[in-house]
Amino acid sequence: MKKDIVNATLLWIVLSILGWILVLNWNIFPPALAREARIVDDAFNLLTVLAVPVFTFVVAILIYAAFRFRSPGGLEDGPPIQDTGRILTAWLVVTIALAGGILINPGFVGMSEVRGEGGADVVIGVTGQRWSWTISYPNGVDVTSYTGELVLPVDQRIQFDITSLDPDVIHSFWIPAFRIKKDAVPGRITQMFITPTETGTFAEDPNVRVQCAELCGQGHAQMSMKVRVVEQAEFDAYLDEILAEGG
Amino acid sequence: MWPLIRGTLSGIVGYMVGALIATLTTTSTFSGEFALVLGFVFGLLGWLFGIGMWNAWGREWVGLTPKTEKAEGWRRYLRFNTDHKVIGAQYLVTMLIVFLLAGLVAMAMRAELASPGQNLFTADVYNKVMSMHGILMIAVAVAGILGAFGNYLVPLMIGADDMAFPRINALGYWMVPPVAIALLAAPLVGSFDAGWTAYPPLSVLNGDGQVLFNVAVIAFGLSSILGGLNIVATVITMRAPGMTWSKLPIFVWAAFAASILSLTVTQFFAASLIMILLDRIAGTTWFGAPGGGTALLYEHVFWFYSHPAVYIMVLPGMGVILEIISHFSRKPLFAYKAVVVSFLSIAGIGSVVWAHHMFTSGMAQNLEGPFMALTEAVSIPTGVIFLAAVGTLWRGKLWFQTPLLLAFFWIFQFLIGGITGVFLADFVTDLSLHDTYFVVAHFHYTIVGGSIFALMAGTFYWFPKVTGRMYNEKLGKIFATWFFVFFQLTFIPLFWVGLNGMNRRVATYQDNLGGVNRFASMMAMIMGLSFVLFVVNLLWSAKFGPVAPANPWNARTLEWQVSSPPPEHNFPSPPSVDGGPYDYGVVGAPTHLREVADPVG
Repeated sequence: MKKDIVNATLLWIVLSILGWILVLNWNIFPPALAREARIVDDAFNLLTVLAVPVFTFVVAILIYAAFRFRSPGGLEDGPPIQDTGRILTAWLVVTIALAGGILINPGFVGMSEVRGEGGADVVIGVTGQRWSWTISYPNGVDVTSYTGELVLPVDQRIQFDITSLDPDVIHSFWIPAFRIKKDAVPGRITQMFITPTETGTFAEDPNVRVQCAELCGQGHAQMSMKVRVVEQAEFDAYLDEILAEGG
Repeated sequence: MWPLIRGTLSGIVGYMVGALIATLTTTSTFSGEFALVLGFVFGLLGWLFGIGMWNAWGREWVGLTPKTEKAEGWRRYLRFNTDHKVIGAQYLVTMLIVFLLAGLVAMAMRAELASPGQNLFTADVYNKVMSMHGILMIAVAVAGILGAFGNYLVPLMIGADDMAFPRINALGYWMVPPVAIALLAAPLVGSFDAGWTAYPPLSVLNGDGQVLFNVAVIAFGLSSILGGLNIVATVITMRAPGMTWSKLPIFVWAAFAASILSLTVTQFFAASLIMILLDRIAGTTWFGAPGGGTALLYEHVFWFYSHPAVYIMVLPGMGVILEIISHFSRKPLFAYKAVVVSFLSIAGIGSVVWAHHMFTSGMAQNLEGPFMALTEAVSIPTGVIFLAAVGTLWRGKLWFQTPLLLAFFWIFQFLIGGITGVFLADFVTDLSLHDTYFVVAHFHYTIVGGSIFALMAGTFYWFPKVTGRMYNEKLGKIFATWFFVFFQLTFIPLFWVGLNGMNRRVATYQDNLGGVNRFASMMAMIMGLSFVLFVVNLLWSAKFGPVAPANPWNARTLEWQVSSPPPEHNFPSPPSVDGGPYDYGVVGAPTHLREVADPVG
């Protein structure tokens, strides 16, 4: 019996080490072009590292049991091990500690980080409608996803005021390279704050795009818009350019 | 066949009457939305009365003697039959057929998704196909285990001769065929393309088929409520002498907890769908902003049912799996009492976590923290289920028949479903993962892993009891392994595409994800093929398999102490219960079924 516990524990440790080697070396995320994207990826990685031993614990017992505890025929009874309460208590202590731990970090810590400080450097309006996006730049010019792209300045805290045409349906404003998203709801204005930290374009990576993430009808999949994150000077030049075109 | 024909005819007449009333009293055309609604309501009533509710029940209401229409053999399955075993078998066969159908629809979806552009369908048709797959599979997951095994086994396991309300039970089952027909007929009137979640305003603005979706799902919900009511009442009132609450087989506890949920939260889904119908037909504006409504209202009411619905699907699955693990490890169920507390806690906490589906919806910010905390709290009772499973397996005498193999697979998959669920419960990671393929992969691990694999495991485990014949063990194991392996190969890649910018419910996606999607599609097709083995095995074995003994697994619970299949009223004489259901290896433990002393001797 002792031997079983030792062997299964060894198996658990080996599997956990293999799992950690895997998750600490993988790079499964697309480019992260914003402060918020890094917060999300860090939270994801932390949860993965914590998930490894939980996953391997159960898997180790499954594998060990499948190979060591066989007895075909259903005739022989196993030892009637009853729960004495100690194992259950230990299990509850560990699971409550884990759940409580992740609730604090990345839970509440991440929530507060991703919300960030109040205020914004730039305010940009976003209106969804079936099946296009309209971007309202601070200089009062509107650009739609049919003809234009979403150009954003790097290292500025941007406030998106998001809504959907009214009447229309719910859309969701999502830029995969920034990770986070917010729904566009008819009759309401929702807000999302993003600070791009690196320049990038859709041509470099298809995740640098706006994508509707809430089912909105037949054009849903193609309700997207190219995004370009540029230096501040280039952003100012872009605003002047669209103002000249619009005027 | 006569009751079926009679039901169909009176159903059609009912439909005509309803549609005609709508056409004559309103501006609706005969195929208009209001006519569809009223036609369905009258058609459903006509069908139910015709199939046998009038003869078996309605006649009593007007002072006539009810008539029971007896039949033998396969014919007893095709009529209003109040025997819980017949109803369980009806549910099992119906749900497996719907499952296979919805699985075929999934294959069509994966064919479309095998490469980035539009291939098989237009984007519009894809949305409709996807919505059909979604709602059919939800129905299977909700009513598969609970409808089939809940009805068949709960009375047997607690030593009762039937359910508490046999006629309500038959009524609940016979509501299912019109639901299926309405859903499958929706493409005739424009189909529904708003997914199974049917978020307005989309579901208020789309084609007429949405109306059929709504009435069908409301009727299905009523069937689910009646089923829940029946199981709750049966467990409370029908237990045999000696069958105390602490001796209930764990599947009965699981069905009980899930039934409390069906009984109490299904109404919210129905209410939200009725509000959509009123917005469409009567011009109310629950969800239309110009009229003072808000789309967020729907999300709250809808998820108030639809998150607990996950536990209606998964709790019975947990019950089936723990049942199988104890009998095939030949050990007492580890931490039985903690499992019972966990089932009830999952049902309770699970009812107050719904808004974690709404972290990106723009709901009030102060709701985000509490709903994250409550959602993560569900992981604690869920963890106890895993403790019970591995604790029971530990040092057991494992008999690796198909049910136990599927139980192992279940644990592995539900583990992945549970762990990835934490990533969606976490506020920050959910902002990224919400509405992406990560969610699709997650809920397939949870629902297929947690409910469908248990449905399969239970089907093999109780197959000898239901049919009186043994299934083919080798084919069973090949099927189980095949299904399991290709399930992983299909859905693990979908976690990755979700992380890499693929959102859900799309017919087309970015070119860079084409390779991985093609791989997932190919694996999905091979996974789908495994069901040929499943169907062949069960059909062939039901007819030609070796005759099953009463207790082929040498298990202690009551259903195995009667013949296979059980006699009409289950127990030759009223049973009473002595020892626990899982006292394997306990020295001196009395049998679970007490030998009834001969009253004369």
